Amino acid sequence: MSESALELAQRALAAAEGDEAEVVVQSERSGFARFADSEVHQPTLIENAVVQLRLVRDGRVGSALTNRIEGDALRDLARRAAEAADLAPPDPDFPGLAQPEPYPDVGAYDEETASFEAEEQAQFAGRAIEAAAPLAAYGFFTSAVSELAVASSTGVAAHQAMTDATTLVIAAGDDASGYAERTTWRTGEVEPETVGREASEKATRTRGAASLAPGRYAAVLEPYALGELLQWFAWDSFSGLGLLEERSALCGRIGERIADPKITIADDPLDPAGLPKAFDFEGVPKRVVPLIEDGVARGAVWDRTTAARASNGVASTGHAPPPPSRVWGPMPLALAVAAGEADSVDELTQLVDDGIYVTRVHYLGIVNPREGVLTGMTRDGTFCIRDGRVAEPLLNLRFTVAIPDLLAKVPGLTRTRQLVNQSQFYDERYPQGVLCPAIATASFNVTGSGSAPGL
Amino acid sequence: MRHLCELAVDAAVGAGAQYADARIVVRRAQLVATKNGQVEEIRDLESEGIGVRVLVDGAWGFACDRRASDGGAREAALRATRFAKAAPGRHRRSLAPVEATSAEYRTPLERDPLSVSIADKVDLCLRAEEGMKHADVNVRSAFVRAHREHKLFVSSLGSAIEQEIVEAGGGIEAIATSDALFQVRSYPSAHGGSSSQAGWEYVEGLDFVGAAPRVGEQASALLRADECPAGTTTVVLDSDQMMLQVHESIGHPTELDRVYGTEAAYAGTSFLKADDLGALRYGSELMNVTADSTTPGGLGTFGFDDEGVPARREPIVEAGVLRGFLTSRETAAKLGHGAGGSMRADGWSRMPLVRMTNLHLEPGDGGSLDELIADVDDGVYLETNKSWSIDDKRLNFQFGTQIGWEIKDGKLGRMVRDATYTGVTPVFWGGLDAVGGREHWQLKGLTNCGKGQPGQDGHVSHGSSPARFRNVQIGVKA
Repeated sequence: MSESALELAQRALAAAEGDEAEVVVQSERSGFARFADSEVHQPTLIENAVVQLRLVRDGRVGSALTNRIEGDALRDLARRAAEAADLAPPDPDFPGLAQPEPYPDVGAYDEETASFEAEEQAQFAGRAIEAAAPLAAYGFFTSAVSELAVASSTGVAAHQAMTDATTLVIAAGDDASGYAERTTWRTGEVEPETVGREASEKATRTRGAASLAPGRYAAVLEPYALGELLQWFAWDSFSGLGLLEERSALCGRIGERIADPKITIADDPLDPAGLPKAFDFEGVPKRVVPLIEDGVARGAVWDRTTAARASNGVASTGHAPPPPSRVWGPMPLALAVAAGEADSVDELTQLVDDGIYVTRVHYLGIVNPREGVLTGMTRDGTFCIRDGRVAEPLLNLRFTVAIPDLLAKVPGLTRTRQLVNQSQFYDERYPQGVLCPAIATASFNVTGSGSAPGL
Repeated sequence: MRHLCELAVDAAVGAGAQYADARIVVRRAQLVATKNGQVEEIRDLESEGIGVRVLVDGAWGFACDRRASDGGAREAALRATRFAKAAPGRHRRSLAPVEATSAEYRTPLERDPLSVSIADKVDLCLRAEEGMKHADVNVRSAFVRAHREHKLFVSSLGSAIEQEIVEAGGGIEAIATSDALFQVRSYPSAHGGSSSQAGWEYVEGLDFVGAAPRVGEQASALLRADECPAGTTTVVLDSDQMMLQVHESIGHPTELDRVYGTEAAYAGTSFLKADDLGALRYGSELMNVTADSTTPGGLGTFGFDDEGVPARREPIVEAGVLRGFLTSRETAAKLGHGAGGSMRADGWSRMPLVRMTNLHLEPGDGGSLDELIADVDDGVYLETNKSWSIDDKRLNFQFGTQIGWEIKDGKLGRMVRDATYTGVTPVFWGGLDAVGGREHWQLKGLTNCGKGQPGQDGHVSHGSSPARFRNVQIGVKA
């Protein structure tokens, strides 16, 4: 990448003609070594740079996007954005573009990770595969260097280079499967052998799974399960747009106790243990946003458009989403759950005494956003907890839970937290994850049984 | 563009690939969206690049580059080859044969949806929104989309195939809320409306403005409806919900790559095994399912798939028995059955995967929706998906619908809200006891079928008539 993303953004800005203009550039050089049955079957090596121009002309807003950046391509981009704006009706609610502000100094770039080439990506996948033996390994290793830049006619000139890496392994046989992953912005911390071994060890304990009658059970959820459940809950409930459109479970409840006092959740894009970001896709500085503090609902994340619509004094918290997701409103993409006091997951199972143990969840669906009701399946490591210990394996369980109920009575959380990947790598690369501990809950509503562990 | 594909294929073969193919894809898309009387988004997108796939001693490599240039083509080919040489694993892959072809395919259409002015699109959306205005409706939204994809495929077998795919579509939605209730109605389908491989005439035919008053009224009425009761009963599903049922519980499990486990790490596998072919009873004898990449208007329609295999129509389930899988050249060779034809990639930057094309539940002799309902003493009729979830083997599912009505003594009764139903795939399809007739069969297209790592969005169509199922559990609660 000889031209930086910011230089490219400024070049696109120079080609734009309007009252106001904003350019967002995302570039990536990434490698994905996806494997199944212990061999790589879907490698994907990507080189791309995407430029989005948003133009304001006479109160009308239009945008255009391209990945052609040579020759006349940026002038063509400006022409298409101008056409879109000129044919749009005036937008009286457009809040204007962001003004320049100082940005927090965050890490998130590692030279070694940035230099990873196809051979190293293949080797990391191989190390994870080998560690999962004798079970077959399914999963991937991926690493990338990506850049985000925002430049605008109001003087915003923001740039961040990021790296990220994930190893994910399901170790599986016909009758067994176990899951593990590590996400980080430093490949030196991604530990493919540890991930492969953890998945394999978990899998060997899932053979002979039994069914479980539907009902409410106390449960221990590993960070993989809690992180994904909270991320799905967050789309509606921790979003300013969700509050405005009355989809959020926090509607009318800000300031009320909605969870156990042990529960504190923020969106923390600045924590170096996560995947730090300095600014959002409107060039607004990222801020730490309290969402639930000591069980009390505190608020949601906002972008400039929703903050203006709220008309209650809230300001953007720096959570404007990537351009393809703009209609979905501001997004919390760096959820962080405060740690508890349990020294280990074993201590949580002792607190539960009798119940179920969930490694991860699969294929969530939002049944009722206003009540925070999700359904999904457990997968790759579901067990009974008996007499305070993890006991016999269970079939994958269907659950239908209201997240406020899940968080209402929490016997404990672990002292250690794990960064759980939340990127499915659609669209442009933008690493995201949830930083969370394991949790013990008094109520996990099982509504059926499904597939057995294994292939 | 053809010479760039040829350059990439030659570079890969020169670097040691035994097989190589290259795809240049140029996309142009436009989205117009409105919400509550204001323009939400007007966006014009373009994307182009080259993707090169190679097979070296049985190992796959795939690399892509946004530069549709000599340098981009050559570098992508060499990166793909380098990766394949370094890839861990045993590498025993063979591909089903395919004839080398030079061909072209273009979507037949009347009016290019990209030629319709943005102003007209905004006007249509705002008029539809106006029609949805109703007491308690606090969010009204509408959108239209246009999509054109020009792609060129060249393989080391000598194929050179040029295709131009055009899609048009859209949808409208009304959301009503009060206290703790959140109710939504969508038309013509949920989660992104419906699209067709067609011109603007498809959008005009959907008649958003005509449908809007009913959508607004029903969203509002749902706030006063009773919650769907719980129990085991007879369920009649409308064509729209049937398409999701077909997609999730037939389409995905019959993708042969899932059967072989290659999606285990993300979307999951399948309850089907390769040797179930011709033997497994999937459902009742009324169940006939066809994969058809020749369906007029289908989003999964093409001349050739992204491996250069020609479009085809083939049975997946006949009289309730599994008769086919969705295959690639690789999985077909492994199974020893089929010839591929379902490999599709999401643009130039993704490797082709086994994907649904157009998958249909064939019509039956159950007549109209009223006739299906007339034969129900006690049950529910459910319309339009609201939520969906299914397990990793596609067995246990739980789906919610936007609206429903009780059925008593063969007639629709009171409206019910927040309906859910759950089941296990072959048991559920075993309860199929009537499928509506051909005149009630509808085709709709979705653009949000996720699969693969990195993720790929698939564009798929399904056709179905309304259908009736006995002994279904409804009313699952948190």
